[in-house]
Amino acid sequence: MNAVQTFKLTKKFNGLVAVNGVDLEINKGELFSLLGPNGAGKTTTIRMLCCLLKPTKGTASVLGYDVVKAPFAVKKRIGVSPQDTILSERLNCWENLALIGRVHGLSSDEVARRSKELLETMGLMERAKDQVRKFSGGMKRRLSIAMALVSDPQVLFLDEPTLGLDPQARRAIWEYIAELKGKKTILLTTHYMEEADFLSDRIGIIDEGRVVALGTSQELKTNLFEMRSMVVSTENLTAEVIADLQSKYSRLEKVKGRLKIYHKDLDFKGIVDYLHSRGVTVYSAALEQPTLEDVFIQITGKKLRD
Amino acid sequence: MKFWEIGKRNLKEIYRNPVLLGFLVGMPVAFMLVFCAAAGGGQAGPIAMSIADEDRSQNSSAFIQYLGSVDAIDLNEPIYSEESQAQDDLENGSISLYLLIPSGFGEATRTQQAINLKLVYKAADPMIGLQLKPIIEAVGSEFLGVAPPLNVELKGTESKIKNMAVNFYFPGIAVYGLMILISTAAGIIAGDREKGFLARMFTTPARPWDFILGYSLPFIPVVIVSTLIYLGVGMAMGLTIVGNLGHAFLLFFLIGLCSIGIGMIVGSLVKSESQTGVSWIFIVPMAMISGAWFTVERMPSAIKSVAGALPFIHAIDASRAVLNGSSFSAIILDLYWLIGWAVVLFAVGIVLFRRTMVS
Repeated sequence: MNAVQTFKLTKKFNGLVAVNGVDLEINKGELFSLLGPNGAGKTTTIRMLCCLLKPTKGTASVLGYDVVKAPFAVKKRIGVSPQDTILSERLNCWENLALIGRVHGLSSDEVARRSKELLETMGLMERAKDQVRKFSGGMKRRLSIAMALVSDPQVLFLDEPTLGLDPQARRAIWEYIAELKGKKTILLTTHYMEEADFLSDRIGIIDEGRVVALGTSQELKTNLFEMRSMVVSTENLTAEVIADLQSKYSRLEKVKGRLKIYHKDLDFKGIVDYLHSRGVTVYSAALEQPTLEDVFIQITGKKLRD
Repeated sequence: MKFWEIGKRNLKEIYRNPVLLGFLVGMPVAFMLVFCAAAGGGQAGPIAMSIADEDRSQNSSAFIQYLGSVDAIDLNEPIYSEESQAQDDLENGSISLYLLIPSGFGEATRTQQAINLKLVYKAADPMIGLQLKPIIEAVGSEFLGVAPPLNVELKGTESKIKNMAVNFYFPGIAVYGLMILISTAAGIIAGDREKGFLARMFTTPARPWDFILGYSLPFIPVVIVSTLIYLGVGMAMGLTIVGNLGHAFLLFFLIGLCSIGIGMIVGSLVKSESQTGVSWIFIVPMAMISGAWFTVERMPSAIKSVAGALPFIHAIDASRAVLNGSSFSAIILDLYWLIGWAVVLFAVGIVLFRRTMVS
C-alpha cells in the first residue's frame, strides 16, 4: 500500500481548474517533492490530502484512508506544516507544541517528551519559554515543522517549508528535513529547485494543475537531456573559430566571453585542444550538468519563477 | 478533551493581550461611570412628584400619604383635584411630572379590581418617569397588599433603591458590555481563520464541537470577571441590589453566552477586516432598541417587536426587574428566551464550523 495515492485528483474553483487530474503514488518512507511555480496547484493538492478541500473529481487516500470518506482517520495520521507560518503568537514553544500534541490525543508526559526532543533538534530550546511573536521567521518556521512532528505522524506534509527564509536558515531547515528521510513519508512542496534537488527521493514537476514530469532528480535530468554541455572562458575567439564550432556541434551560445557548447557526445579534451590549436586562450573549461530549472524550462517552456 | 486544549490556547491569547482585555472591560466600565455619574451617582436625592387626585376618597388620600413616606419620592404641594390643572403646570414647566389617581380608585381597591394609575412626565425627559414608574408600582403593591392591581410583582421593595437612574442604567450597560463579546469572539475566530490558524487546527483530529467549545469556554471567565467588575463599579456609583443577585448573574451569564454565539457566527462568516464593522453595526443598534441606554416604551411597535425577538431586551428588562426586587417567577419567560437563543446560536455555530472545516 502506498502512503499517499491520488487518482485523477481535480479541484476547480468557480470554473478555474487549480488541480487537473493529478495521479500520484508516494511510497512509505519516501520524500516526495512537488516542484512548481506559484499557482501551479501544489498547495491545493496538499490541502485536499489534508482534508481541508474536497476534490471536485478523482480520489485521494493517505495510508489507505480516503480523504473524503474518512477524514478523521487521515487527520490522526498526518502532520502538517502550512505554507504560512501559522502559530499561536502569544503562546511559547512548549504551549504551541502541547496544543497540537494534546489535540492529537497524546498524554501530557508524551507531549513533554516529544516537545523536548523536537525543541533540541530544532535548536529552539533556549527560547522555548518565549512567546513566539518575538521569534525570527526562521525560528517560527522551525517551530512550525516541530508542531507538524509532535504527534509523531506517519505522513508529513510540508508546504513550502523554506519560503521567504534567508539561505542560512533555509540550509538549516533542509538539514532537519534530511534527518527525517526514511523515517517518515514526506510530501514537500517547493518552488526552489535546489531544495527539491537536495532533499527529494522523487520529484513531481507540476504546472497549471498537471503533473508534467515525475522521477528522481537524475532521471528527470538524464531522460530529458540527451545533450551535454560545457562552458569555456576564452580570449581571442575569432568568427572563423565560432563558425567552425557551430558546424561541428549541435548548439553554441556566446555570452560575455564565455562559450557554451551543447552536443550529445561532447569531447571535452578535443574541444580544448582545438581551441588551443587555433590560438584561442582558454582560461577555464567545465562540463555542465542540467539543472531542474533546465528540466522545467524544457518541459513547460517557461522559467520556474515566472 | 480536545476542546479544553483549544480553549486553553484561546484563553492565553486573550489574557496575554492587554489591549483586548482593556477594551473588553474598560469600555463598559467607562460607559457605566459616565452614565451613572450623569445620573448623580450615589448622591442622588428623591424625585419631586406632583399628584392629581380625581378620586378624592379616603383610600386615595391614604395612598398619597403612603407615597409621601417613601424616601425616593418628594411629594409636591398642593395636590391637584383635576388632571387639567396638573397638565397646565406640566406644560408651563412648573412641575416635572405628576401621578394621576383616577376616579374609582377607592372603589377598585375595595373590590380588588385592576387599577390604572397614570404617570405623566415631560416628553423631553422620559428618564424621570421611567425611574419613578417601578417605585410607584412597588409602593402601590405594598400599600394595597394585593397583586396585581397595578400589574406589578415587585412587592414594593423599590423604595430601598438609592438611585433609580443608576439602577436603570446599570443592567443596560452591563448587557452592552457583554455584547462587546460579539466583536471580540468574532475577531478572534475571523483572525484565526484568515491567518490560517484554524486551517492548521482543521488538519488535526479535532471535531466541530471541540472548536465551538474551545472558542467559547475562554470567554466564560471573561463574562464572570466582567460582570463582577461591572457590579463593583455599579455599586460604587450607587447601584442598589434589592433582588436576588444570583438571578441577575444568571441573566448576565446567559446573555454573555448569546453574545459569544453571535460572535462565533459572525467570525465564521466574515473576513477579519470587515468583522469589526459588521459586529458594531449589530451591537450598537441592538443595544439601542433593546433599551440599554434609554427606554423603548415609546418606540414604534415594529421596532419593539424586532427587539423582543432578540435576546438582549429580555436580559436587560429581566435584570432590571430582578435587581429591583422581582421574583424568579417574574423572569422565567425571559430566561427561557435567553436559553433558547443560546442553544440556537451554538447549534448554528457548530453547523458553520463543520462547513468551514472542509470547503
